[in-house]
Amino acid sequence: MNDVLVEARDVRKDFHVGKITVNALRGLDLEVRKGDFLAIVGPSGSGKTTLLNLIGALDVATGGVVSVFGQDLSTLGRRRRAHLRLNSLGFVFQAYNLVPVLTALENVEFVLELQGAGSELRGTAMAVLDELSLGDLSDRRPSEMSGGQQQRVAVARAVAAKPRLVLADEPTANLDSENAEALLKMMRELRDEHDMTFVFSTHDPLVVSYASRVVTLRDGKVVSDEQKNSDPGAHRSAN
Amino acid sequence: MRVPLLAKYAVRTMGRNVRRTFLSVVGVGVGCAIAIFMTALTKGSGEMRVRAVAESGYGHLRIVPGEWERTRDNDLRLADWRGALEAARSTTGVRSAVPHARTTALLAFGTRVTGLEMLGVEPEAEFAMNRIARMISEGRYLASTDRDAAVIGSTVAERLEVELDDDLLLTVVGEGGEMEYAMLRIVGIVSTGVTDLDGAFCHVTLDEMADLTGFEGAGEITVMLDDPGALEDIAPGLRSEIAAGDDVMTWMDLLPAQSGDAESDEVFMSFLSFIVVVVVVLGIAGAQLTAILERRRELAVLMALGMKDRQVVGLIFLEAVAMGVLGAVAGLLIATPLVYQTATSGIDLRSLMGGDFSISGVLLDPVMYSDMGPWMVSQAFLIGLVSMLIAGIYPVWFALRIDPTSALSLREA
Repeated sequence: MNDVLVEARDVRKDFHVGKITVNALRGLDLEVRKGDFLAIVGPSGSGKTTLLNLIGALDVATGGVVSVFGQDLSTLGRRRRAHLRLNSLGFVFQAYNLVPVLTALENVEFVLELQGAGSELRGTAMAVLDELSLGDLSDRRPSEMSGGQQQRVAVARAVAAKPRLVLADEPTANLDSENAEALLKMMRELRDEHDMTFVFSTHDPLVVSYASRVVTLRDGKVVSDEQKNSDPGAHRSAN
Repeated sequence: MRVPLLAKYAVRTMGRNVRRTFLSVVGVGVGCAIAIFMTALTKGSGEMRVRAVAESGYGHLRIVPGEWERTRDNDLRLADWRGALEAARSTTGVRSAVPHARTTALLAFGTRVTGLEMLGVEPEAEFAMNRIARMISEGRYLASTDRDAAVIGSTVAERLEVELDDDLLLTVVGEGGEMEYAMLRIVGIVSTGVTDLDGAFCHVTLDEMADLTGFEGAGEITVMLDDPGALEDIAPGLRSEIAAGDDVMTWMDLLPAQSGDAESDEVFMSFLSFIVVVVVVLGIAGAQLTAILERRRELAVLMALGMKDRQVVGLIFLEAVAMGVLGAVAGLLIATPLVYQTATSGIDLRSLMGGDFSISGVLLDPVMYSDMGPWMVSQAFLIGLVSMLIAGIYPVWFALRIDPTSALSLREA
């Protein structure tokens, strides 16, 4: 059985800013395997977010191949990439980015509705919130929740459709350490219980400490790929 | 029934910036109201024009001898005028039908002479149908038993310097081409206040006309309908009921100038309404675009989550529809009192028209009333929704160009 969910080979991504070409990724190679709790780290400008954009089918590489679930993303049009994102990928954003006019429950429902779920979507969304101990927040709008609560609801939204791969861009950047840790524990449990794979771009040492694998980027290339042996975050769980 | 979240999202979005939503709704409402008001005036004046035409003796329909349309010869008579009259009166949707016969006549009193087109009528039916006949200023209108009697216009009376009960010398051309003479007593004088009409009015009974000219019967049947809008439906049926050789003409055929004026009014008002709607659309499009610009990141996130293009289009158009519905309601709230006022009290045009309200022999009402009806609701919603949907096109195009990669960073979308 092939456990490789994402395969990036010799990936290049250039941006044109006026007459200047910025080489964000310069021949990057990476594999993301099923069950990874992968932290991508590196200094600003190293290409973390660009890589996440490519894996998330939000952008197309200038060169090389990015395959997600065996599909070469360069062969997919805008519509099929949107379909892939909606049905197989989950996203968690640094700034939470919940829809401000919808409640927590409706934010989770919304993704299910976009997928075309029928009358069962409310029950499904509520079950997800309950599973993540967010049931009490179901009727609250984002403006009525703390940053930590919003980010946990954002995770609920990302995983509601049971995606195989969840991409999180600096998910703890706006959270205090207590909320950040709660969030990471929640995501790790999701990985363990639902066979999900998580990829983070982060600067946060706490995320790194929870990661099962840490990939370091510099100047658009992978400079180290460290697989941890211990159970990620176990030292903290024991505390 | 579950309301789709996309609809909830669209409706609640209007509450984010209440001031902008309010101004947009008022903008659409004012546009709707102006268009409704102008349409109400156009419809009202159009209906008044048709009524004025009909009640000035032209009717909505006219049964004429087949040759009349080409020759306009007043000596022509209907093949079976009693049959045609009966057919018209028994037709569903016909309010009244009256027979007419016309001839060119000279009226003289002493040394004064005036020429006009004299009309032979059935007095009771004519009095009920013809509003000019009811504008008696002296004496009375004709009765069916009258002989050697006429009702004339006040200007005719002034020209001839005659009064009630004076006897006029009438000269007409008879059936054989000979001059025929008769004396007619003035039993009534009509005054509309319009010189053209009062200077061409002379009614006698149909029997009198036959005696004078030697042409028996009626040269036309003037038909009034309950609903002038049903004119095109009734005319063919009536045509099949009358004698072969006779024909049915509409008032538009009889008075192409009036018909043309009515069409010009409609086109002009439609054009003005179009301009108003365009201005509103441009204003609202700007507001809509600003709203989209403010939500670029939000839309980028939704697209990153997998929202498809058609769903983005649906969301923005749903917002436009919600705004359009509110705008239509606002438009009705603004327009209804104005339309009600002009529908009940009217607009007095005497100061604008200088007191002369006749065109092509049609006595127009100097007070113009607008038309108020259920059509206002459908028009308000049509304008509100269509203008908002058009106003949403550019914002939708802009939204579809938002880069979803901006959702994953704090960079601007």
